[in-house]
Amino acid sequence: MNTLLLLLAGFFLPLFPLSMVFNWVLARFTHPVIRILVILVWPQIGVLLLLAAGAPLTGSAFLWWGLLTAAFYAWRLLTVRELGQWSAMLATSAFALTWVMAADSGRAIDLHAFVLGFAVAPALLVAVTALLESRLGAAYAGLVTGMARDMPRLAGLIAVSLLAAMALPISPGFFAMVGLLLHSELAPVVMALLTWLLWSWAGTRLLRNTVFGPRSGKNVADLQPLHAWGFAVVIVAAVLMNLIWTGA
Amino acid sequence: MSRLTLGRRLKIRSMVHMAAEPIPFFWPMRTFIHHNPLHGLEHLPFEQGVRQGEQLFHGRAFLPRTDYQRYHAEGKVDDATLGDDIQRFLAERDAIGELDLHGLLQTLLCRTPETVGERLDLADADDIKCAIDGETTPCGETTADIDALQERLARQFPPERPLYESIDLLFGTEIGTTLDELVIKSCLDFFDEGQSTLQMPGREHGFFTAWSALAKRNLRLFLRGLHIKKILAQDASAEGVIAYVLGELGIEESHWDGLITRELTRLHGWAGFIRWRSTASRYHWSQTYPADLIDFLAIRLVLGLALIREHARRKRLPATYPELATYLEQHTAECYLRQAYHGGTVQPEWAHRVDDALAHRHPGHINRLLPEYLHDERSAEARRQSERLLALAETAGQTEALKALDVDQIDALLTLLDEFEDGEGMMWLRAMEAVYRKSLLNEIKLLPPRKREKRPFAQALFCIDVRSERIRRQLEHVGDYQTFGIAGFFGVPVSFIGLGKGTELDLCPVQITPKNVVLEVPTGATEIETDFYSSASHVLHDVKSSVLSPYFTVEAIGLLFGFDMIGKTVAPRVYDRWRNRIEPKDASTRLLIDKLSREQADSIVRSLQRVTIVQAIGQQLGIDRDAITDSMIRELREIAMGNREGTSEFARQFALSPAAEAEFIETLRDEYRINPSFVSMQMERLGKIGFSTDEQVYFVGQALRMMGMNENFSRFVILAGHASKSDNNPYESALDCGACGGGHGLVSARVLAQMANKSEVRRRLAEQGIHIPDDTWFVPAQHNTTSDEIALHDLDLLPTSHLVYMERLRNGLRAASRLCAAERLPTLEENVDPNLDTTTAFRHIQRNTSDWTQVRPEWGLARNAAVVVGGRHLTEDMDLDGRSFLLSYDYKLDPKGRLLDTILSGPLIIGEWINLEHYFSAVDNEGFGSGSKAYHNVAGRFGVMTGNLSDIRTGLPSQTVLKDGRPYHEPLRLLVIVEAPVPHVLAAAGRVPKALSLIVNGWVNVVVADPETGHMHFFDRGDWHDLGPAPQRAKQLESIDAEESPA
Repeated sequence: MNTLLLLLAGFFLPLFPLSMVFNWVLARFTHPVIRILVILVWPQIGVLLLLAAGAPLTGSAFLWWGLLTAAFYAWRLLTVRELGQWSAMLATSAFALTWVMAADSGRAIDLHAFVLGFAVAPALLVAVTALLESRLGAAYAGLVTGMARDMPRLAGLIAVSLLAAMALPISPGFFAMVGLLLHSELAPVVMALLTWLLWSWAGTRLLRNTVFGPRSGKNVADLQPLHAWGFAVVIVAAVLMNLIWTGA
Repeated sequence: MSRLTLGRRLKIRSMVHMAAEPIPFFWPMRTFIHHNPLHGLEHLPFEQGVRQGEQLFHGRAFLPRTDYQRYHAEGKVDDATLGDDIQRFLAERDAIGELDLHGLLQTLLCRTPETVGERLDLADADDIKCAIDGETTPCGETTADIDALQERLARQFPPERPLYESIDLLFGTEIGTTLDELVIKSCLDFFDEGQSTLQMPGREHGFFTAWSALAKRNLRLFLRGLHIKKILAQDASAEGVIAYVLGELGIEESHWDGLITRELTRLHGWAGFIRWRSTASRYHWSQTYPADLIDFLAIRLVLGLALIREHARRKRLPATYPELATYLEQHTAECYLRQAYHGGTVQPEWAHRVDDALAHRHPGHINRLLPEYLHDERSAEARRQSERLLALAETAGQTEALKALDVDQIDALLTLLDEFEDGEGMMWLRAMEAVYRKSLLNEIKLLPPRKREKRPFAQALFCIDVRSERIRRQLEHVGDYQTFGIAGFFGVPVSFIGLGKGTELDLCPVQITPKNVVLEVPTGATEIETDFYSSASHVLHDVKSSVLSPYFTVEAIGLLFGFDMIGKTVAPRVYDRWRNRIEPKDASTRLLIDKLSREQADSIVRSLQRVTIVQAIGQQLGIDRDAITDSMIRELREIAMGNREGTSEFARQFALSPAAEAEFIETLRDEYRINPSFVSMQMERLGKIGFSTDEQVYFVGQALRMMGMNENFSRFVILAGHASKSDNNPYESALDCGACGGGHGLVSARVLAQMANKSEVRRRLAEQGIHIPDDTWFVPAQHNTTSDEIALHDLDLLPTSHLVYMERLRNGLRAASRLCAAERLPTLEENVDPNLDTTTAFRHIQRNTSDWTQVRPEWGLARNAAVVVGGRHLTEDMDLDGRSFLLSYDYKLDPKGRLLDTILSGPLIIGEWINLEHYFSAVDNEGFGSGSKAYHNVAGRFGVMTGNLSDIRTGLPSQTVLKDGRPYHEPLRLLVIVEAPVPHVLAAAGRVPKALSLIVNGWVNVVVADPETGHMHFFDRGDWHDLGPAPQRAKQLESIDAEESPA
């Protein structure tokens, strides 16, 4: 195993504090397409470095470093209200779990599928962030509540994206997480479950402060039906591809 | 003991009572009372009242502009009235530049969806002028004027504002929410009326006493860091605690009343319920477990103080009002940003930066950030305002005129728009009312009724309820029926004790307290069934509501509930029929409506006492009835009542020592209440049962005279009370009869029928000029407003001579029901086939009575808009679309106007309450209504909450007033049309101050249709306006002339 390569991979499969680079990059670029590309490509570079370093990993230092990073960012999600930052931290937390996966499996396809599965929800959230910013000036939880009744289509997209962020069935994240839990030892599993729980908690809070709650009464345009259908197709395609790929 | 003097305690009590005045009563939902949610503000003019109501209850008193614009597009808004009101508004104001203000305001109302006259915090007219001219930044320099900010903050955080609200707004804490939850939980524990298995211990000592005893030992509160015990140790009385807490919070006494009002209105549903309960001296639960608003406020303040202190300790926040004032002064910049951030008014683009700055709490950083933020906010305000002005001007075709305005003129325009939009709701309302008023008055036939050649086959008296209008119209259509409208309690206030019930139910408008009790007694014709089904129901209920049994009940007999669920869901009508077959039938009963003589009452009491003494002997001494004689019992009674002294035969017979005998006699007096004071109470209560013959004659005579029914009686006079039937519907009672105090109307119908069928009553009425023929029979009936079925009752009393006509009567009623159902079906279901036959339509409608998934079994009183007081000839042949209360009245039979007084003081007020309950629930369903039924849960068996913990929801659910999220009920004030000469109406209104106040203050609109002059008179803005001759009158006179001319 090449430790230098592993440390380098720590920038791409973010390990705290190296993860700050990933978050800085996502904060630096505001264009949604660039951010989505970063979310999709960045961890794949990490997987390549990991494979080059020699997966599966031996020893538990990187595994626990990854787990602690995942739990730390999941915990941070509870206090973050800006959706763009939230999606970046969710991605950081989720990608950090790749180290647990890599401790068990050295198969390139498994690792690539794992990070891709976890990249779907943050990528969707980046798109949602852009939609909210264009309508409300910011994608900030609590500023505008009750979207379910004022903007039902957009609220539906937010809800689906957040449910995917919580890695609920049948989102790709769910199968990635189940795969990880099935192939790991007890201690990492407990830590991963705690991380999962924190995602759900944070996601629920975000839902409560956007989709539900009292109506803001703001006259804001909802998502165009065509765009809503577009997103629906993308989401269904992601789910189907994941089901086919993982054989679930 | 309280540390306060009596005077001080009384002062606090009166302060709370005064502060609670605007909070409307909330009656338990078992007898839902429609009422104006702003009832406490009815002494104010409508516009002023609703404005104050909006502030107090955080609701909206008018629809959003877009809803009115939709009505406008549908032709339901009168352009002329709207134009007049704009003109009236502009009449007092100067012109602004070259702007055509009338056109601009018309465009604003009818073609601009959003408000334009926003109240600006930072930007001024100068900035807006610059923005209109295309500059992107404010013209003036933006500096953080700390003094100005401090002034704004001081206005925003007045001492009347609860401290926790201020802290929540500044620091994003949720003390207010937590406090509400804790108070609601306490209320649920105390006020429970049998829903929960466990209630608060010691409830009989009163709310505050019971709660404090429990709170002092509440470990959960202690572990949360709430030191309740320490606060409660300061004073034992609720008033003392209120004074202590307000003193501790550092609030000057001059601000207490304002603060108390705000505290009470925060949970105004609970406050309204407690306020009503504390005045309902005959309400069982308030007699047993007393509570008032002083208790409620004390509990709220104690919990509030404990929560504030806990947060202050943990997060170093201000804990008193002076501390808050100091904090605002010393951290002005931070507080400004805090209130913007936590209040949701922060510029969205700034939310993240402000959040970061506040999280770090670095004064230097915050002070640097503030000017930048203010500059941006000011620019955004100016940009937003200028864009709206430009959009408005462009739509109105006045862009150039706007651009030509100078700064002062822009300022004047902004002020004008702000004032205009402030009052636009009232303009829309008046303009909508004008359309409805004109359409109705256009059709009213203000002519004397045509004489009938022969008496009708049947006459039917219905409640004035709007739902009766349809069935009356259909009944008149299908045959020779004459119908009348009368308040659903038929003018007889009754306190009713139903069979097997221990409590009295007042069946009359809530403003009246009945003096007479009517008792339902079984005839013995049918056996009262206590069969397997009834027993099983009781067992199931007990099992469900005990503490542990539900755990195994689900496993053991859960499947039974599954059958019930499937039946009710899949085939509700068939299942309901099957259940009706196996459920015990209602027993055959009569109503005890005649007064008991003193001797009869005395005999009843003696008889009851004897039974009690026998029970006491058995329970206390273990002696059977067989061993004692009547004379012994009589003697014991006399001794217990103090009418005799000495050793009794009973004591001698059973060898009781004098001490044992004395003890037993004492037990009889104390425990079994064989004593003179209890007898006198029983005699008093028995004295209330029934009506004297004089009273019966009076009530029957009054009811008939009020409707103008003094001759030409039919063979059948049907008295149709009404009720609704639905399943799984806590609001079922809201669909029942408002004039019967939210109860069913059948009992009142039975009472009046029983009175009117008595020969003695008829004889005395004949002396008064009301001749009821011998072959006239009053038949009580019940109109089920959900299915429109009319069921006749007490048919076993029907004379044999009438039986041959029964089939014809039934056929007619059935046909009317079906036609009515067919008429209503399209309002309840989508895409109804217009050719659907009435039988199928009726079946569809019937399903709603038993379908437990149906959230809208009927529309109830939605869309009510008018009340017509007068003869049926006014509205005959008119389709009033189920929107009018119809009250029969003949002023010729009421020369002194006393009957009109009764109408104005009863039915008019009920109508106004019903109308405004619907009005406010429709304009703001979340604020004044009760939101969606789908989230409702029954609370304590007297109210509903949204979710598992909320304020008691007052008002009507969205399913009652909204359709597809938009108002189904068109919110209009009640239009009262009275057919009588103007002086007659004015004199009556003058004698009823409440009615006069409602008319003068504009809570109802009044039109007097004067049959003697043929003119209509409308009261508007403090004056009577002659609307000229009734349109239909002229046409009818022409047609009468045409008919008569050949002859």
